[in-house]
Amino acid sequence: MSTTWLPCGNYHESYTEDHAWWQTNFIKGKMIVLALILFIVIPLLADSYILSVCNLIGYTILGALGVQLLIGFCGQITLGHAAFLAVGGYTSTLLILEFPWPAILTNWGLAYPISIIVAAFVAGIWSVLFGLPSARVKGFYLILTSMAAQFITVDFIITQYVAQIGGRGQAFSLPPGTIKIGPWVIDSDLKVYFLMLFLVTICCLVILNLLRSRAGRAWVAIRDNDISAEVMGINVIKYKLLAFFVAGAIGGVTGAFWISNLAAISPEHFPWFWSLWLVGVILIGGVGSIHGTIFGSLFMVLVMEGLQLAVMPLADTFPKLLMDFLFIKEAAFGLAICAFMIFEPNGLAYRWWQAKNYFNLWPFSY
Amino acid sequence: MELFLMTITTGVMVGGIYALVALGWVLIYKCSGVLNLAMGEMTLIGAYVSLSFYSMGVPFLLSLLFSLIIGFVLGVITERIFLDKLIGQPVLTVIMVTVGLSFFFKGSIELIWGTDTRIFDPPVFTIEPIHVGPVIIGQAYLWSFVAAIILLIIFVTFFKYTRWGLAMQATADDEMAALSLGVSARFVYATAWAIAFMAAGVGGTLLGNINGLNISVSYLGLLVLPAVVLGGLNSVPGAIVGGILIGVLQNLCGMYLDRYFPGAVKEIAPFAFMAIFLLFRPHGLWGWERIERV
Repeated sequence: MSTTWLPCGNYHESYTEDHAWWQTNFIKGKMIVLALILFIVIPLLADSYILSVCNLIGYTILGALGVQLLIGFCGQITLGHAAFLAVGGYTSTLLILEFPWPAILTNWGLAYPISIIVAAFVAGIWSVLFGLPSARVKGFYLILTSMAAQFITVDFIITQYVAQIGGRGQAFSLPPGTIKIGPWVIDSDLKVYFLMLFLVTICCLVILNLLRSRAGRAWVAIRDNDISAEVMGINVIKYKLLAFFVAGAIGGVTGAFWISNLAAISPEHFPWFWSLWLVGVILIGGVGSIHGTIFGSLFMVLVMEGLQLAVMPLADTFPKLLMDFLFIKEAAFGLAICAFMIFEPNGLAYRWWQAKNYFNLWPFSY
Repeated sequence: MELFLMTITTGVMVGGIYALVALGWVLIYKCSGVLNLAMGEMTLIGAYVSLSFYSMGVPFLLSLLFSLIIGFVLGVITERIFLDKLIGQPVLTVIMVTVGLSFFFKGSIELIWGTDTRIFDPPVFTIEPIHVGPVIIGQAYLWSFVAAIILLIIFVTFFKYTRWGLAMQATADDEMAALSLGVSARFVYATAWAIAFMAAGVGGTLLGNINGLNISVSYLGLLVLPAVVLGGLNSVPGAIVGGILIGVLQNLCGMYLDRYFPGAVKEIAPFAFMAIFLLFRPHGLWGWERIERV
């Protein structure tokens, strides 16, 4: 299925062309403008608050990408993805704090990048471990297993054991200067922003590339009907576990990225709420599309920030309102999910697709 | 040995409450096929309503009755507004609507009743324990168990002998056949939600009597999931047995494993057990084994 409209009389003549990302000059120009805005205009113009909101959006996108891969492309519903974020974050933190790094690596600023890669692997393997039941069960039972992953990992193993390593108490904080990539110490919102852009771009490219390969086609086949996929000769278990590995690895990268923003980590950053939040993001954005993930993250973060900005001026007259904002946010999130599921089950990506189609043929759509 | 017996007894008593809530869950699943993740918040709502009435000086049984009535109304409203439109939608959609509902309920509860722990004051059950041979039972546990069993019997009788209950059984068995015989499916769905809400409210009230009431009581709603998986998703006796088994398992783990794995073993054990159990018997003890075809 080609998603691009070509001018009349132009056809793809090879699979390479058919699968190319940027198929027309217009799309190329559009993407270059987008890249210019993201990499140059926003860092130049935005102040610290806007950058921190952008970082939050990027964090949500990274976290939701893994969920999107599992739910949207492989059909394995997961309600415990925050566990893998936590595994990644803690792996990276512990490596930075406890591992006896040779001086040459820390001088070159390689400790943090290496810890991100290790975190991705550890989180991926941890995710495969909890994906193993998917060989036997599916649907609702798999949801229960993923919930078990959340509770066992975050509430038990990390809170009770991992967080006690080094005797720092519950929350680890990273001393300034330890999070360093090459010559740059990640200490301002702007630097976190660039790291975020880099990671989001890389992860999106990895997933998009996987999706147009053999693995991606196998995942979509499993999502659409796993029994037919098996009949067609796809090794269902292998590809399900591969999906779990990739999703977990991206989760690990996400967790490891977020410690650069917080400079601290504690189990409270990865509650079950966050797992559900990520699923809500992809449902609102649109299941089964990468830009749906991005739309969903933008929508959710911006709406919540807007709500907060709207509540702030009222806080002087109603001080209770500020205290209760967390609860209002929770209730609003719940209602938003219900409303989207009932009235807009295809998500924002579908609306985007409709608008694009409309303008493709505009003004002569007949 | 006495310790063991006492642990088992307490487990069975708490398990009775779990069984009551699990029954409501299974009922919704059987009748309308909705996998409900908002059970914990439904528990909280009922519990807070009866607590509010009780603090205003209404006798305990009467406030329980009020909470049943409000639970019934809320159940019907929830079904009509949110779930009526989702019949025939994919599993993920329906589950996420219940997740959204759970957030909505939770946020509203925190807005209305706050997050502090509240207790039934004055205590409904005396603290004096009862001695049965070597076993000592707290009165709150005993009476909660009795109340849960009475309600379980009432609900089961309702399904077996009344016209409405039979209509619900028919819908659960074969929706198409029931529809063609003139059973109103919408009525059955609404009743299932109403009963689930009522059962959850009573369960929450009883648990609130034992430990005090705060937002973490909604964890009970998650404990229901291991219970129903153990018993089989669509089996009412399975839900009751599963609930009691989970209660016992939880207490045994809390008693004997806590010294090896300090911390939250009691909370985690049912989920760990469930994850392992699923590998061996995914359809539970008495659930239907589905044969899938392309």
